[in-house]
Amino acid sequence: MTNPPDRGISRRSLLRRAGAVALGGAAVAGVAGCENTTTPVPASGAGGGGKGLLGDPTAGGPVDAAGIPLARRDYPVTLPKIGDSVSSSAKVERGGELRIYNYADYLDPGVIKAFGKLHDVRVTVTTFETLDEAFSKLSTGGLEFDVIFSTPDQLSRLVGRQLVQPLNLELVPNLQTNVWPETISPFYDIGPRYSVPYVVYTTGVGWRNDIVKVNPNALPTVWDALWDARGQRGKVQLLNDPREAIGMAIMRSGSVDLNTEDQKTIDAAVAQLEKLDQDVRVKVSISAYEQLPAGRITIGQMWSGDMLNAVISYLPKGTPASVLSYAYQEVGGPVFNDVITVASAARKPVLAHQFLNYMLNPKVAYDNFVNFVGYQPPQNSIDAASLFKDGVLPANLRSAIVTREAYANGNAYLTLTAEGQRRWDRGWAKFRTS
Amino acid sequence: MAPRWIWRLLATPALVWLAVFFLVAFYAIVSVGMGNVTTLFEPVPHWNPLHWNVGYLWQAIKDVAPGGQTWNVFVRTVFYVVAAMAISLAIGYPVAYYAARHAGRRRGLILVLLVLPFWISYIMRMFAWTNLLASDGYAARGMHALSIDSLFNSLGLLDGTDWLGGQSVTVILALVYGYVPFFILPLYASLDRLDQRLIEAARDLGAPPRDAFRRVILPLSRPGILAGMVLIALPMFGDYYTQDLMSGSPNTTMIGNAINGYVQGGPDKSLGAALTLLLSAFLLIFMLFYLRSMRREQVQAGS
Repeated sequence: MTNPPDRGISRRSLLRRAGAVALGGAAVAGVAGCENTTTPVPASGAGGGGKGLLGDPTAGGPVDAAGIPLARRDYPVTLPKIGDSVSSSAKVERGGELRIYNYADYLDPGVIKAFGKLHDVRVTVTTFETLDEAFSKLSTGGLEFDVIFSTPDQLSRLVGRQLVQPLNLELVPNLQTNVWPETISPFYDIGPRYSVPYVVYTTGVGWRNDIVKVNPNALPTVWDALWDARGQRGKVQLLNDPREAIGMAIMRSGSVDLNTEDQKTIDAAVAQLEKLDQDVRVKVSISAYEQLPAGRITIGQMWSGDMLNAVISYLPKGTPASVLSYAYQEVGGPVFNDVITVASAARKPVLAHQFLNYMLNPKVAYDNFVNFVGYQPPQNSIDAASLFKDGVLPANLRSAIVTREAYANGNAYLTLTAEGQRRWDRGWAKFRTS
Repeated sequence: MAPRWIWRLLATPALVWLAVFFLVAFYAIVSVGMGNVTTLFEPVPHWNPLHWNVGYLWQAIKDVAPGGQTWNVFVRTVFYVVAAMAISLAIGYPVAYYAARHAGRRRGLILVLLVLPFWISYIMRMFAWTNLLASDGYAARGMHALSIDSLFNSLGLLDGTDWLGGQSVTVILALVYGYVPFFILPLYASLDRLDQRLIEAARDLGAPPRDAFRRVILPLSRPGILAGMVLIALPMFGDYYTQDLMSGSPNTTMIGNAINGYVQGGPDKSLGAALTLLLSAFLLIFMLFYLRSMRREQVQAGS
């Protein structure tokens, strides 16, 4: 990995910046380069050595021994600025193709089409099933995109591998004006330097209340509903995501340490999953949004947006939305957001910025939400309560909405050290090959 | 007839193409399997044999050995493939035999029907089955109406009523469905070439039809059966998407799924590559067996 030359850019303390963000919410008009203080940034945590991250003295935050930033809510990370962002006066590219890399069914085709029309460009979406798969394929260099959808815990890896490029926030004005203040300059990407928030979600238990009679909220943890679903053998979804799956087993045991690296905890969680599989024979997938309304999955671990997505796009004729239920762990359960980034290999970086800005437009975000995706964007203008009152969304899925309070107090799967990640991944491989 | 050098010249590009693309790809797998990973879990291939790291290969060997992490998966894969081959033989041989020897005017139709599935991609056909076999799908309801599911239940082949809920039998039948044409076609070609005079001779010498079949036709169709078997066994051993679509449960994980899991993400891409090497070595045994028996047949035919 080549380090950018230390050009002695002026610096200021990470803590001050984090403080300014916390206080002002939007006090991030300038990114690195416009800063004019001279305090060096200590990279708190191991291996930082005061040189910032990856040789960028303006970056900082806790890192693991290998230099991968480990953002935590109380320990924000300013990611190293590697490479230059596009200039504000750069012309928007026209014609040709804008290439997007995303989960399947995670972007409204109507919204994509409208963007294509607006900018006279053909928008193509390539999909991945898991974030690990996405990272693997991106890092081989075989796939090139302009826009990459990802998650905060993957962001530091994407930055470390130079797969995403620093943003020019002047080209994304909607960020400052439209999104929840707590997501503008989040702890995993102070600035932000690389990412804008896409949608927020919780992870919980979704089920067909006409088939499975259960009240997860009445159980010791909501997750027990899966372990109890013996009658639903073969129709119980486990998310195809090592962090989510093993994390769920950890939460079921009463812990909320979703970023643990303790081998014993992970082993115990994997053993729990194996027990779960023996009892209910899980389906390892992420397509509950389609399979739950079809009745092929009757209960399972799923994301809140899957429920609304199911209602919006996948209910078969004759199946009312009222058969779907959702519950999540309100204390210590995962509540987080996904992010959109501009790829370093972007051939249309300016247009990619325009796309990010477009996705943060209140009308576009709303349409994408209620017309297709079902995942809620953290937009100030979207009042979840009124969506239910107006009947845009079914009242029985009120629990699938993420409130600002829940988001601010939520738990999250965050970047682990390489060794910690290895432990989770090995545990997952052991489960998958059981 | 054109001189030999013309044919050599014409064959060279394709041979070079095959050699390069096989060898380069295979060497890449070897180099990744003998390589390492970065802290970001990207594989670092070791191209120089002097720098090979045999740790992952050793790990893979320990994993597929009895008691290792992938031992169960390996045994299951062998079982699935052998079962699928047996079923393919049972349903494929009569079809090939009929098409080659008794179909008469309908032979063309049967051949078209055999090739027809290839007009639609394998994945699309499997997707179709996920709809047909879902609890509310036509196939599932039809089999329920005919009590086929309860028959399978009582035989212990189906657990519950959900065909797609991690059932070994579904995965095996899907493998058969996907690969049986590849078995029938080479078998048909070999049965079609069968020397009619040998069968006539058997009959003339007083063999009843059953004996003629058992002692003449069956031994003569051995090369065809073997070719078909090898042709379907090799891809079935590496198959992973059939299992993904038909089950997705860890209970039916095949060796291809394990490799796919390692390679798609996580810190053990090299282990995935090493496992691929082991699988290749294992399949090479099949291949050698096939080549040896082919040679023996040729020698017999020549003598």
